[in-house]
Order: sequence, then structure tokens, then C-alpha cells
Amino acid sequence: MIKKYFTILLILLISLHVSAQVWVVPAENEGKKSPFAFSDSTRKAGADIYVSNCKSCHGDPGKNNVIQLVPIPPDPASAKMQANSDGALQYKLIQGRGTMPSFKNTLAPTDLWRVISYIRGFNEKYVQEIAKNTTGNVGSLQNSQIVLTWISESHQIQATVSGLKDKTIQPVSGAEVKLFAQRYFGNLLIDEARNTDAHGAAAFNFPIDLPGDSAGFVKLIARLSNEEAFGEVKTESNMSIGVPTYRAPLNEQRAMWNVLEKTPIWLMLAYILTVLGAWAFIVYVILQIRAISKAGSKT
Amino acid sequence: MASEVNTDFLNNKKLDSIAADILKPVGISQGFIIWMGFLGISLMGCIYAYYIQWDKGLIVTGLRDYISWGMYIANFVFFVATSLVGMLISSVLGLIGFKWVKPIARIAEIIAVAFAAIAGLVIVSDMGRPERLPYVFLHGRIQSPIIWDVTVVTTYLAISTLLYFLPLIPDLAIAKGRIGHTPKWLQKTYEILSVNWKHTPEQYAILLKAMRILLILIIPTAFAIHTVTSWLFAVTLRPGWDSSIFGPYFLVGAFVAGSAAVVIMMYFVRTNYKLDKYLTTHHFDMMGKLLVLVSIVYLYFNINEYLVPAFKMKTADAVHLTDLFVGEYAWMFWSVQLLGLIIPIILLLFRFFRKPFAMFVISTVVLIASWFKRFLIVVPTQDHPFLPIQHVPKAWMVYQPTIVETAITFGTILLAVIIITILVKFFPVIPIWEMAEEHHESDHTTQE
Ligand code: HEC
Repeated sequence: MIKKYFTILLILLISLHVSAQVWVVPAENEGKKSPFAFSDSTRKAGADIYVSNCKSCHGDPGKNNVIQLVPIPPDPASAKMQANSDGALQYKLIQGRGTMPSFKNTLAPTDLWRVISYIRGFNEKYVQEIAKNTTGNVGSLQNSQIVLTWISESHQIQATVSGLKDKTIQPVSGAEVKLFAQRYFGNLLIDEARNTDAHGAAAFNFPIDLPGDSAGFVKLIARLSNEEAFGEVKTESNMSIGVPTYRAPLNEQRAMWNVLEKTPIWLMLAYILTVLGAWAFIVYVILQIRAISKAGSKT
Repeated sequence: MASEVNTDFLNNKKLDSIAADILKPVGISQGFIIWMGFLGISLMGCIYAYYIQWDKGLIVTGLRDYISWGMYIANFVFFVATSLVGMLISSVLGLIGFKWVKPIARIAEIIAVAFAAIAGLVIVSDMGRPERLPYVFLHGRIQSPIIWDVTVVTTYLAISTLLYFLPLIPDLAIAKGRIGHTPKWLQKTYEILSVNWKHTPEQYAILLKAMRILLILIIPTAFAIHTVTSWLFAVTLRPGWDSSIFGPYFLVGAFVAGSAAVVIMMYFVRTNYKLDKYLTTHHFDMMGKLLVLVSIVYLYFNINEYLVPAFKMKTADAVHLTDLFVGEYAWMFWSVQLLGLIIPIILLLFRFFRKPFAMFVISTVVLIASWFKRFLIVVPTQDHPFLPIQHVPKAWMVYQPTIVETAITFGTILLAVIIITILVKFFPVIPIWEMAEEHHESDHTTQE
């Protein structure tokens, strides 16, 4: 019954978003390929990502225990899923549709490829084609890296990108950088994607009201967008630039949901007094039975 | 209950004849052996079923992720409900001063003791790892209604047992010399349990005071026991349980089930023990009136419980209610409402149907319906979680009680019947001294 309800609701919802059942992937995305070769280690990393992000809907691959949504999320091992090209899978993961969420900001590009490598692990016939120029580093620039610095006057984060050329460190210009702040559920894009200037620098305006942890620390993640060209280049940095926020854990105070030792006082008193009160009378009555017996011996 | 007992009745000839009537069936008879044999053998089957569950766990039941409270919990609510009648009859009606409840009071108390005692066991039947039962006491949180329930069931059982036992003491003393026809060990038991009772005025005074305390104490306890049972459901947000009238609704429903159980037992005692002098048609007539009264109040609560949400039909409630009114559970729902409530009310309004046999039949139907009523309260709600549970096979979304589960449930009922049989067969079912005292009083009034 409830399923019928959900079905109707979902059909309504989804028909608003999706006009056609076929999920069209633009030609340029169709042909995209992973910058790295799929291996046991990428599949293993992909499996972890899959369990925490996809399994709740898509189930265990090959077991066909997907959640009954409409349209049904295909089992990763199914022919339907595997019929997608690598690029199509990447596109669908980035875009999302209906109840299938978009993982654009939640998963890093490399993680997307990792989970795709995991999905491909269920297809014996699959033969991978790797993107060209994907030795991980492009052209003469090697080992690109990002350094984040805090500019307090302008309340900005500056990302400086550099790489090795002829064994000297040189700035990388014109590279697109994205900056994220890690939140509970996924990463929050800070400002917008920026291109580095001639000095390899890009500045991001940092919000003045972003909550940090109790000491104000925010975990920042910066990433180069064009992985096909640069390989995975990212950096993480913890900076005390957020608003210090202390949220008392829910189990800190006495509460109904807490452990026995943290029972609310009023409840403890009410319970103990009631129980003692009732049992005091019961014990008294039991003693009366003794009194009866004694009274009987008198005569 | 009188605050003072005139012990003159002890010298009355009447006492001898009353005691003879009531004590005659006491002891082991052939019928008793056959009946207990039948119960015992059936129970063996049920114990075997429990052995299977003990060995394999709850997977042998129909309980799964969606419906995790099934027959067992419905059965638990039924047991607690039925046991509540002890308080209604001996305490509420007795304290108000209704004389007619005197011969019935012990029957009601026997039901209270048997059903409250087994209620605890019923809960254990719902545990997949019963050997972890002590954890409830070691690690239980007093924030949890489950702990309140455990506490209050135990307290109620203690009070009910005392309420059964205390007025039995003078009877045991009276019976001591009069049960030569019974086995020695039973006579010995009477000797011990009658705690040196000599019918002294002082003893009566102590007894009456203790009784009075218990009769008052049992009222809040009984209210608590079933209100807390209702809270196990009502403190959740789920449609069908999320109700502010659940406490009184359960309480009144309990009186219906309990009164029916008392009538059934009265009928058995009256016909098998030839005690129609004490359990007269008048008593059945009064119990009929009581049953119709509590049924009408219960009907009123039912109307509130179903009509008010049905008028609003909030999304989640609507799913639940449609299921009950016209859906999967409609047959059960309407049978229970009609056979367990509406038709009995109509019939019992007529004196004709308040005769012993008719009352027995009606009460049996009412009692069976009240078991299914508990099933309807417990199970259908769980069919509709607010969020679908993930990764469950389709078969886990529907509840299909298994044979093992049914046998275990049946076994708990057998156990209650066994306790009742033992109490009824080995001890006087009708308070001898109170009967004698009453006759004595009425003799006096007619003489004067
Ligand atoms: C909230 C549920 C949900 C989650 C979480 C989810 N998906 Fe989906 N997914 C769906 C649904 C529903 C569809 C079908 C969408 C459609 O066809 O409109 C779908 C479709 C897809 C498709 C397209 C299949 C096709 O039709 O060709 C892919 C690929 C996919 N999901 C991969 C993933 C991966 C990988 C993850 C985890 C990173 C994931 N999904 C997480 C619900 C989900």
C-alpha cells in the first residue's frame, strides 16, 4: 500500500524533471575516458565509495537488491548499467536525474573514476580505454601542486599552483582550480571555479560566516579541474578561519535518549519514588501476614 | 467490605453446609487428571515449538524487518488486559460496596494472577536471545517505557497474588479439618498457608486493614500497568499508535476482555462444581450488565480512536485506516468490531441473553475477538513505515505468522489455563467465610 503511495508520489516528482525515459548523454561526454588505468587498488577504493554513497539505492552489485524507486536504480552489474560508456557513467554521476543524486560536488573527479572502475569490475567483457595524455602530468610540467594561503586583509584564500619544469619549480597559469570546504555531508564549493594567473595564483573570497569546529578550523580542499591534463592534483589544509562553533553533543546532557546515568532528574525521582512507594506498602502487607501468624499463637 | 467482622458466623450451622459445598470439588479427581493430562500433552508440543525457536532464533517466526512486533506482542497486550479485571471487580466494585461481587472476587483474582504471571513469559517469547533477559535489569534505562512496563507488571503481579492469598487465609483455616478426602500433601499445604489462623478478632482486624491497603493500592497500579503498556505504542509517531487516548482506550478494552474471561470461568466453575447456589443467575445477570457497560464505554473510545483520524485522513493515517476499513485487514477489523463489541452490546441489553449459558457463549466470542483486537492494534501499523526499509526482500514486508509462533502463543494460553486449573482445583474458589458471614448477616436481618 505504502509502496503504491510512494510510487505515485515519485512518478509525479520525476515526471516534472524527466521528460523522456532515455537518459541522453551529450556526444562529447560520451567519449570521456578515465585518466588512469583501472586496477585492483582503484576498484578497492571505488568499493568503499560505493558502499557509502551508492549502496543504499543500488544495492549489492549482482544481487539485484536495489531499492524500489521509480525509475528503478539499475544494479551496477546489470546489462543496462554496463551498456554505458565510461564517459556516459561519469556524466550520469555528475548530473544525476530524479532521485539519482548529482555527485558533482560530493565526489572528487578521481573518486568518480574510482567508483566507475569498481562498477566495471562486475563486467568480465569490459576492456578499458585510457584517456590520452594521462601519464598523470602533462607536457613539461611535472608533479604539479597547490599551496593554500590565507589573506586575512581581504578575507581570501589564495591557491598557488606550481609544477616542475627542467627541474625548477614554475608557476602553472590558466589552470582551473576549485576550492571546497568539507562539511558533514559532502563538500561545499567556496566562491566559484577560478583560473590561475601568470603567477599561478587564484584568489577565492571566503565567506565570513562559515561555521568551523569549536576552534574555528575548517578543512579546505583545493583541486585542479582538468584531471585529463594534470592527473589528480589536490591539496587539503586545515585553517582556523571559520566561525568557532560548539555544538554540544546530543548525549552530553541528561535526556530521555541518554544512558541510564544521564536520566533526567525528574524522571528518576518519579520512577524511584513511585516504585518505592508501592513496594513499601507491599512489604508492609507481607509483614502483616507474619503479624497474623503471631496473633494466632497468642490464643 | 465491612471494617469489622462479627465472628459469630463461625458457630453458625450455615458455615458447615457452605464449606461442604465449596470444598467438595477440592482435590484430585479423575476429570482433573484427564484435563491436566490433555493440557500437559498439548503443552509439550508448544514447548517443543519453543525449543525450535530457542535453537534457531526468531527466524522461525514470521517476524522480519517490517513487522517485528507480531503475535507475541499482541498476545502480551491481551494477557495484561485480561489480568486487569482483578482490580475492577474486587477493588473498584468491592470498595463501592456491591455485595454481589463477593463470590466472584476470587475468580477475578485468579485470572489476574494467572494472566499477569504469564504476561512476563509472553514477553520473553518475543526475545530472540532470551538468555540475555538479565541485561534488561542490568542495563535497562528508566527512560524507556519497556522498563516501566517490566516494573509495573511485577508490582501488579505481587499485589494480585497478595489479594488472592489474604482472603484465602481464613478459608484455609476453615478447610483444614474438612478436607480429609484430599491428599496429605495438600492438607499439609493448607496447614502452612493458613499461617496459624485462629479466627481471632485481632487477626480479622489485621487482615481487613491489609486488604484495604491492597484494594486501594491496586487501583493506581492497574491503571499504570495498562497505561504503560499503551505507551509502548503511543510514545511513537506511527499512524495508529500516535494517539493521546491510548491509555484509557487500553484500560477500558482491558475491562471488556477481563469481564468476559470472568464470565467464562464463572460458567465453568458453576457447571463443573455444581456451585449454582453461589454463582447464581443473578450474578450472571450483573456480570452481563457490567460487560455491556464497559463495552459501551469501549465502543465510545473506538469511535474516537478511528473516527477522528478518519475525518482528517492525514496522509500516513489514511494509508493505515484504509487498510483497516477496506483493505487487507478489513475482514478482521469488522469481525472484531461487530462480534466483539456491537453485537454483544445489543444482545446483552436484553435480560434473555444475560442468562448463564448465553453469557458464556457471548463472552467466549468477546474474549476471542479481544485477542484479535490486540493483533489489529499491534500489527497493521508496522506495515507502513514512514520511510521504506532498505534492502529487504519482498517477503519481509508482509507478516505471516508461522506454525511455531502460533504454537508458542497457544502454549502461553495453556499455561495460564493450567495455573487457573490448579488454583481452582486445589483451593476453594469461592470465599467461604465471606459467604458464611453474609448469610449470617442476612439471617439476622430477617429475624429482627
Ligand atoms: C537516492 C538513490 C540513489 C543513490 C544514492 C545513487 N543512485 Fe544512481 N540511480 C538512482 C536512480 C533512481 C537511477 C535511475 C535514474 C533514471 O533513470 O532517471 C539511478 C541511475 C544511475 C545510473 C544510470 C544508469 C542508467 O540508466 O544508465 C548510474 C550510472 C548510477 N545511478 C550510478 C550511481 C552511483 C555510482 C552512485 C553512487 C556514487 C549512485 N548511483 C547513487 C538512484 C540513486
